[in-house]
Amino acid sequence: MNIIVCIKRVPDTADADIFIDKSGKDIEKSGLAFDLNEWDSYAIEEAIQLKEKLGGTVTVLSAGGEDSNESLRKCLAMGADDAFRLTDPAFAGADGFATARILAEAIRKRPFDLILTGTQAEDDGYGQVGVVMAEMLGVPHVSIVNRIEVQEKKIKAHRELEGGLEEVVEVDLPALLTIQTGINEPRYVSIMGIRKVAKKEIKAFGASDLNLKPEEVGLSGSDIQLDKVFLPLVGEGAEMLEGKPEEIAQKVFDILRDKGGVA
Amino acid sequence: MDFELTQEQKDIQKAAREFIQGEYDKEKILEWELTHTFPKEVWKKACKLGFIGIHFPEEYGGQGYGITENILVVEEFCRKDSGVGIAVTLADFSSEVILRFGTQEQKKKYLIPVTRGEFISGGAYTEPDHGSDITLMATTAIKQGDSFVINGTKTFITNGTLADFFIVLCQTDPHAKPPYRGQCTIIVEKGAKGLEATEITAKMGIRMTSTAELSFSDVRVPLTNLLGEENKGFYQVLEFFDESRVEIAAQALGIAQGAFDRALDYARQREQFGKKLVDFQITQHKLADMATKIETARLLTYKAAWNYDQKRIDPKLTSMAKMFAGKVAVEVADEAIQIFGGYGYITEYEVERFYRDAKITEIYEGTKEIQKNTIASALIGKLK
Amino acid sequence: MKEIIVVAEHRRGELRDVTWEMLSRGRELSEGLGGELSVALLGKDVKNLAEALKPKANRVLLIEDNRLEFYNSETYEKVLTQLITERKPMLTMIGHTATGMDFAPSLAAHLKIPLATDCIGIDAKDETFALTRQIYGGKINAAVSFLKKGPQYMVTLRAGAFPVIEKEPLSGEIVSVPSLLTDEGLARRFLEYMEAAAGEVDITQADILIAIGRGIKDAENIPLVKELADSMGGVLACSRPVVDKKWLPKGCQVGTSGKTVKPKIYVAIGISGAFQHVAGMKGAGTIIAINKDPKAPIFGVAQYGIVADLFKIVPVIKEKIKQLKKS
Repeated sequence: MNIIVCIKRVPDTADADIFIDKSGKDIEKSGLAFDLNEWDSYAIEEAIQLKEKLGGTVTVLSAGGEDSNESLRKCLAMGADDAFRLTDPAFAGADGFATARILAEAIRKRPFDLILTGTQAEDDGYGQVGVVMAEMLGVPHVSIVNRIEVQEKKIKAHRELEGGLEEVVEVDLPALLTIQTGINEPRYVSIMGIRKVAKKEIKAFGASDLNLKPEEVGLSGSDIQLDKVFLPLVGEGAEMLEGKPEEIAQKVFDILRDKGGVA
Repeated sequence: MDFELTQEQKDIQKAAREFIQGEYDKEKILEWELTHTFPKEVWKKACKLGFIGIHFPEEYGGQGYGITENILVVEEFCRKDSGVGIAVTLADFSSEVILRFGTQEQKKKYLIPVTRGEFISGGAYTEPDHGSDITLMATTAIKQGDSFVINGTKTFITNGTLADFFIVLCQTDPHAKPPYRGQCTIIVEKGAKGLEATEITAKMGIRMTSTAELSFSDVRVPLTNLLGEENKGFYQVLEFFDESRVEIAAQALGIAQGAFDRALDYARQREQFGKKLVDFQITQHKLADMATKIETARLLTYKAAWNYDQKRIDPKLTSMAKMFAGKVAVEVADEAIQIFGGYGYITEYEVERFYRDAKITEIYEGTKEIQKNTIASALIGKLK
Repeated sequence: MKEIIVVAEHRRGELRDVTWEMLSRGRELSEGLGGELSVALLGKDVKNLAEALKPKANRVLLIEDNRLEFYNSETYEKVLTQLITERKPMLTMIGHTATGMDFAPSLAAHLKIPLATDCIGIDAKDETFALTRQIYGGKINAAVSFLKKGPQYMVTLRAGAFPVIEKEPLSGEIVSVPSLLTDEGLARRFLEYMEAAAGEVDITQADILIAIGRGIKDAENIPLVKELADSMGGVLACSRPVVDKKWLPKGCQVGTSGKTVKPKIYVAIGISGAFQHVAGMKGAGTIIAINKDPKAPIFGVAQYGIVADLFKIVPVIKEKIKQLKKS
C-alpha cells in the first residue's frame, strides 16, 4: 500500500504565553517551540503502522518554509520513506482551500492508494484541507477517523461522532482519510531513525513545478483572509468560596439553585 | 568558529526532549522518589530508542555518535526531571572504561547488553578511606592461578544494587612505587561469590539512583576479566573521568535549566501585591543572573564535549566544565526555590528536589575541590 | 431575494442542537438583509423533523429519499450541489460538527463557493460577511473576511457558539424537492453506528456537567463524583488525562480534542484548567471549580472557585444537596 501523508509544522501554543505581533494579524512566534501538528503525528504513525503490516511506501509532504524540514525529518525518522516540501514565496497567506490546492497538485501525478492528513491543525484549525484535497483529486474521503481496517481494495473506517458515537463506513481505494487523535500511540523518534535520515535529501517544489499560476496560490488563491487578531474576552477570575466545608457546600447549593442546577 | 549544533544534533536534542516529556509523570516520579525506585521502564524505553550508549560504536550496540550527542541527551533528560534524568543516564555508568580499554570480546559481552537495556553497569572506585584520592586502593586483587582474588570494600557505588557488572579499581601490586602504578581495573559480575551490595538508603538526593556499599570477600574472577594492560588502572580511570566529567557537567546543566524553567514559569503566573512576580525587578534580576550562569555553563560544557570529540584530551577543560556547571546547578536550584517561596520548599513543586539532586554534581566523580586541583595543576604545569 | 440556507443536522431521528443555533443566527442575518431563511432537511421519513423546523424558518426544503436514510458525504454533496445550484442562496450555513466537517469543504470546493470553517461569529457586511474564528486552539480570535466576492458564500459554525434566541415563530412552508439520486454505486458506504461505550450520554447535550481531571487520582474514586452528579441530575465528563488512563470513555472528554460543551452549569473537579480543556468548556453558563491548587488556571475561567481537597469537599456538597433538596 502506497500512502501519502500531508503534515504541518505548527507553534506549540498550548502552554505558552502568546502575544499579538506588530502586524496585528498573527502572534509573535519567536520564542515559541514548534512541532509536528498533533493530529498529523497520529496520521504519520497510522501510515507507518499500515506500511509495517502491509508493505508499500510512506511519502510525507508539507507546504511550508525550510523550517518544515524539521517535521518532515521527524516523520522520516519515525519510518516514512520519502519526504518533500512545497515552498514558494507565492504560497504566503494561503487559507485552507489554497493549501489544499497546492498539496493536491503535488500529489496528482503520484501513484497512491491512500492519503492521510490530520483532521485539523492546532494553529488555524480550519479542519478542511484533507476533505478539499479529496474533492480536488476526485477520490472519496472519510474524515475524523479513529480506527482503520484495510480490506480488499477498500477500507473500513470508524468516524468519531459526538458523544461517544462512531459511524462505521467503508470506502473504496484510493481514498483520503483525515485522522483523529487517539487512533494510535505515535512512536517516539529513535536515534536509529535520526541516523537513517541524516543524509536524506528533502526536495522542495514551487508553484511552477506544480504548474500553478500565481493567482491560484497563496492569498490570491484563497477564499478567506485574516484581517486582524485579538484576544478573546477573558473572565475576571473566580469568586472564591471560603469557609468551613459545610458553609462552602451551602454556598454551592445556593449557586446551583440560582442557576437551575438543582430542581 | 561555529556555535550552532548540527542539524542532526538538533534532531537528537528534540528526540530526547520529546521522549522524556512523554515519559514524564509527576505523580509516578514523586512515588519513585519516595520509595527510592529506579525508573526501570523509562530506562528500558530509552535503551530501545538508542539514547543509552548513543556514543558507543555501532558494532557494540551504539549509535556511533560522540559524547557531544550523549551530553545533549543527558542535559534534556535531567532538565525534564533531575531524578529520572540522572538515574537513567547513569545506567551505563563507567561502561566507557570497557569501551576505551576492553578487548573486543569484553566490549561485545558487556556493551551490547548495556545498550539494549539488559545490563546496568557500575564503576567501583571510591573506598571508605579513599574518596577523591584514588592513588592508593585498599581493595586488592591478587593473582591465584587463572584467577584474581579480590578483597576489600567500595562505597558510594552508583547502581550498586542494580548493576549487572562492575569495573573495579584494585591494587594488584601493593609494593608498586608510587602505588598508583600498581592498580588494575577488573570486571566483576553481579552474583559473584563473595560480592555483597548493601543499599545506602538515606541520602540527600538522587533517590531514584541506587547508591551502595560493595564488599568483596575472596571474590574470584578469571584473569581475562582484566581491562586493558596490567598496572594501568589508575590511568584508565583518570582518562575515563575526562570523559565522564563532561557528562556530569551536562547533568548539572540540565538540572539548572530545569529548575530555571520551573522558576520562570512560576514567576510568570504568581501574583503578589497585585503584580506578577516577573514584574518585580528583583525577580527579573534573579532570572537574568540564573540564565546567564546557565548559558555560561552550557558553553563550557559543550566546548569540553566538542574538544573530546576532536580526540583531544584536556583535563583542565573538563574539570572547569564539571566544577562550574555543578556550582551553577546548586546556585540556580537554590534561587529557584527562593522564587517559589514557601511552595519551593514543598516537594510537589519539584525545585527542592532539583536542589538536592544538584548537590551531588559538585561531589561525585571528583569534588569541586579536586577539579580545582586539576585545573590548577594544568595552569601551573605540575605533572599529574 | 437573498436566501440563507441552513443545512439541518440530525441523527437517529433527532435534530441536533447546532441546527437550532444556526437557525437562530440565520434568522437574525436574513432579517437584517431583508431576505429569507430556508432550512434544508435531507433524510428518509423525516416529515416530523420538517414540521418541527417550520416555525424557525420561512421555508423547509425537504429532500426525502431512501438513500438519505444515513448521512453520507457523497449523497449529501450530490443533493446539496443540485439544491444550491438551483436556488443560489447568498449564504449556506452548515454545522462545524463531525457531519459538517465531513461534507462542507468538499461541497464548497465542488461548487467553487468560498468557505469559512469553524466560525464563532458571523455578521453581514457590504454584501458579504464578516466572520470571527478562533485560532491557536482558542487562545486568539481572528477577524476574517471573504476574499473572493460572492455572490454566494458558505460557512460552518461551531456547535455551541451561537445562542438560541427565542423569537416569534415563522410559518415556514414545507417544499418537497426531488433528490435526483440514482442507484449508482457509491465509493463510500455507511455500514453502521457504534456506541463507544454502553450507557454513555452525549455530554454536548447535557445541561449540567460534572467534570473530573487528573486530581481524581484513581478510577476507584470516580463513583464519589458520580454520586454528586446524580444528586444534581448532571452528567459526568472529564479532561484528557482521565481518558488517557481509560478511566472514562473518550466520549466524556471535554476539550480541544474532545467535545466542546456549553452546559448551563459546569463543575470542574480536580481539573487544573489546561487551555486545551478550557477551550472546550469556557462557554458554559456557570463554571464552578474545585481544586486544591490556588493557582490552578481553572480559577481564571471559573465564576466560582473552591480551594479544597476534592475528597473532603465533594461528599459534603453531595450531602448538602441531598438534604436541601428534600426540604
